[in-house]
Amino acid sequence: MNNSNITLTLPAERLFARVARQTASSVADLVIGDDRHEPAGRDFSHAFELAVSEAFTNSVTHARESATPQVVKLTFFFEQRQLVVSVHDANDPFTIETPVPDIESYPENGFGLLIIRKVMDHVTYRREGNYNIISMSKTL
Amino acid sequence: MNITETSNGAIAIVAIEGRLDALSAPELRNNRSVIDPEKTVVLNLEKLDFMNSTGLGAIVGALNQKLQPDFGIVLSCMNDDVRSVFEITNVQKLFHIFDDTAAAVEFATTRQGAHT
Repeated sequence: MNNSNITLTLPAERLFARVARQTASSVADLVIGDDRHEPAGRDFSHAFELAVSEAFTNSVTHARESATPQVVKLTFFFEQRQLVVSVHDANDPFTIETPVPDIESYPENGFGLLIIRKVMDHVTYRREGNYNIISMSKTL
Repeated sequence: MNITETSNGAIAIVAIEGRLDALSAPELRNNRSVIDPEKTVVLNLEKLDFMNSTGLGAIVGALNQKLQPDFGIVLSCMNDDVRSVFEITNVQKLFHIFDDTAAAVEFATTRQGAHT
């Protein structure tokens, strides 16, 4: 899928997190090709799937109540062995540099962005108008 | 996600199958044995295909329900993908983790016996 864009717009609801995740897994498998059955290929696919799951869940968790239903837009792009996904929502601004949860306090949340930063090669956040865009990439 | 539960003496063995994420995590959080503070639970993760941080939070939440944080929840049989989520977040430090359920049950039984 070199130079092809795949865009998916989903309601900002938990129910659709699996659609986001399964799409991420399918896109990753597409770019991995025959290597998807090899350990490195499986690790790549799982990392990508996990990061998209975390980003989508964050968007849904922080979605604002409004008269018009909120959506989350995912855009996948593959170029020069880099698989990139951008997650776009209309929530309040945030930072991706969140502190690492203190394990000794038995935390039940706050791991999402940590996982994204750990499993992806490059993660950026930007604010465009009223929109958050988190962009994540992983190199094959 | 499917949850099946069996007993081995005083230990509940709760097997989770499928995906543990934002949609399914409440089912684990509300499981009868999980919310019982005195019940020691072995979570068998052999058939858990996928877990994200919300699922991880539900497992830590299960541990937070227990009177005995050292062995209230014991984990067994997780696959490499699930294990990676524990390791990335360092949450594996909070749990005793076994490669097979029988060993997990034996550990939980021994620890529970020492505290009664």
